[in-house]
Amino acid sequence: MNKLKKALALVATLAIASTAFYACGNSSSTANSTAESKAESSAAEESKEESAEESKEESAAEDSTEESKEENAGGGENKVPETGDKLSILCWTGDDVEKMIENFTGANEQYKDKVQYVNVGSKGQEAREQYANYFAGGEDADLFVLEADWILDYINNDEYTAPLSDLGFAASDFDGCYPYTVSIGTDNNGVLKAASWQATPGGYVYRTDLAEEYLGAKTPDEMQEFVKDWDTFTATAKKLQDDGHKIAMADTLGGMWQVWQYNRTKAWLDGDKLVIDDYCKEYADLAKEYYENGYVTKEDQWSDGWYAIGQDDSTMGYFFCTWCLGSGSMLSNAEGGEGGKTFGKYNITAGPSGWAWGGSWLALSPKCDNGEIAHDFVKYFTVDENTAKDYALFKSEFVNNPKAMKAIVDEGSNKNDLLGGQDQFSVLYEAASKIDMDGKITAYDSQIKDAFNTVVSKYAKGEIATYDDMITEFKKEAAKIEGITVE
Amino acid sequence: MATAAQRRIKSVSYAKYGYIFILPFFIVYCIFSLWPLIQTFILAFSENGTRTPAIIGLDNFKTILATPSEGDFKALGIHDSFWNGMKNTVIIWVGNFIPQIALSLLLAVWFTDLRVKMPGKGFFKVVMYMPNIITAASVAGLFLSLFGDSQYSVINTLFRSGQEPWKIITSCWGSRILVMFIQVWMWFGNTMIMLMSGIQGINESLFEAAEIDGANSRQTFWRITFPLLKTIMVYTLLTSMIGGLQMFDIPYMLHTGNVVNDYIKTVAVFVYEMFHANFAKPSFGYSGAASVILFIITSILGALVFYVQRDKDAIEKKRKQKEAIKEWKRKQKGGGFSI
Repeated sequence: MNKLKKALALVATLAIASTAFYACGNSSSTANSTAESKAESSAAEESKEESAEESKEESAAEDSTEESKEENAGGGENKVPETGDKLSILCWTGDDVEKMIENFTGANEQYKDKVQYVNVGSKGQEAREQYANYFAGGEDADLFVLEADWILDYINNDEYTAPLSDLGFAASDFDGCYPYTVSIGTDNNGVLKAASWQATPGGYVYRTDLAEEYLGAKTPDEMQEFVKDWDTFTATAKKLQDDGHKIAMADTLGGMWQVWQYNRTKAWLDGDKLVIDDYCKEYADLAKEYYENGYVTKEDQWSDGWYAIGQDDSTMGYFFCTWCLGSGSMLSNAEGGEGGKTFGKYNITAGPSGWAWGGSWLALSPKCDNGEIAHDFVKYFTVDENTAKDYALFKSEFVNNPKAMKAIVDEGSNKNDLLGGQDQFSVLYEAASKIDMDGKITAYDSQIKDAFNTVVSKYAKGEIATYDDMITEFKKEAAKIEGITVE
Repeated sequence: MATAAQRRIKSVSYAKYGYIFILPFFIVYCIFSLWPLIQTFILAFSENGTRTPAIIGLDNFKTILATPSEGDFKALGIHDSFWNGMKNTVIIWVGNFIPQIALSLLLAVWFTDLRVKMPGKGFFKVVMYMPNIITAASVAGLFLSLFGDSQYSVINTLFRSGQEPWKIITSCWGSRILVMFIQVWMWFGNTMIMLMSGIQGINESLFEAAEIDGANSRQTFWRITFPLLKTIMVYTLLTSMIGGLQMFDIPYMLHTGNVVNDYIKTVAVFVYEMFHANFAKPSFGYSGAASVILFIITSILGALVFYVQRDKDAIEKKRKQKEAIKEWKRKQKGGGFSI
């Protein structure tokens, strides 16, 4: 009897102890998961030949670039096993990924219910940190989405990203994409690690009804005359105020900065040194002028107010880029959704200066265990002209394929309901070919941008008195980030 | 002669089961509390910008505490934001503790007073404790939509329609007072319950005696409740101070956009931001050093509170006792003069 009690006590103790450990999640399960994944990969080894053959057959049937693949050493063969249950795509928002999955599985019946979206964080900045934690755990991770602001962190780290050649892609497969997307997706050693499905040129999206009423502009071309460069843009803003209309021309300071920063000629960092050029001063002064005179609204970008101004005549328009214009996106929110107060009352023009905003790349996790689906998924959205075109029309997305976009523009088949039936691609197609972000992005862009926008908005609001004080504040903030030197 | 059964009973020691039962706690504690604590101290003396830092000595403390030279923006940035955080922490904590303890004390006295026959005491207690149950993220979200800078926030729609909106969230004192208010609102119920249990622990007969002697409620409070509540108050002060110095969630979340408002950035936010600022090159050293500084400050303040609140009579009594013993010993030796 006593022995039984002892045994019971021991079991109870062990149970308590083990539950205590179980609760401790990610970090402790690392060891386990590596063991697991080893076991998996050895199992995968066996099934590899099989799946490789399969994928070869398939790609031979579908892919016309088979030959170029063969030429590329290391490419051509899908080295990633197909043992996983589902293809998990990690992102911080379902806006894109869920639509992509819908479109992809719709066209590929065999993958129905085999692709899932995994939410990691609610903002890009969060996801940036969460990914590393997520990968350390044992959960399934196949593809994940990277943002232009911090893509360099990940693609230059082999622990987190595997080359796309592992999936059987050759560099030449991406010849049909916008070259800048390919160069951003290439790491410091020249290995292609990530592919983008979108190009992200932007324009000025304005209220057609108000433009006609206040400015007499009836078409986007006429409106463009009022916003053709920054001086004209400012003059128009001034005219509106002088006429007694309480309406801003630009949506938020954050939005203005997106346009402005694109026209910087240098990256934020030269090596690891912070670069502060004339653009900073010009922008700070412009921001102050706009803020003080009501040429820009006093709302914050990404706040609820940002969308609300789109419906109550507080702003003539927004600076929006391609990914802001699809269904369920920022423009849709600004219009109050379908049936909203200003639904369809917007048009797009090129705006004061060409610009592009961000962009997202698909990267391959080294833990990927759905090589075949992953390959097809990446191919579907980046390499294949026809399917990319299909998706462009499906999501109103500016896909990363000039040929597909050209075809859509020529056909004139795209009608964006949010823009009252206007085809935004015809306006943005020109701008897209001019995008040159090469060498202008750094791994620290999001933090530097945040730091700069914070001081500029304080300067605009008068909380910081002079430009020099503002720059000192900015330098102090930027210098806090490890890896940046400031002089 | 003892039977075999008796002998066996004698030899069974149940103590070891006790140890086995508490073992899981200690294992978990050592791994998840003790080791991180030690690790923080190690990190405080380690270099920055890497996930596998080497020990470099006191440099991190020097950067944070010493006045930096004019052109050294890095040191300036870190030094200034640490002290800005310190200032904010102290301001917000003081501004939340005083109203909080006053309010809690008042309510605790009312709720425990035998003469006040308030209906639905339990209901009020629950309602007042409720804010503490809501997660800080929801609270921050709630207050952002109530007091937001946007012309569409509740307060601006109600009072500033058609006019320049109030910018409470980004203003210096507006945001600080808002955080103080939130902290009071979230925590006064908790403090009240603690004080009530303290008051209920006071011997009922003291109150009765006071009543019979004709003391009014003010006299009862200042002569009986307050002095006897001192220990609980010290405990509240201490826990609130430790919590207040580590204040993080509300100040961290009460903002729109990506950047935490400078005027409510506390030391804990500074600690968090330093090692999060750069994902690839985390500054664990500065964060660790700031945590250690916070630890030291907390220890000193804690010791100070105990020193001020120590039982002076008991100490005096002990001192006298010791003296008496000395005197007695001296006498035993035969008078105090022959050495």
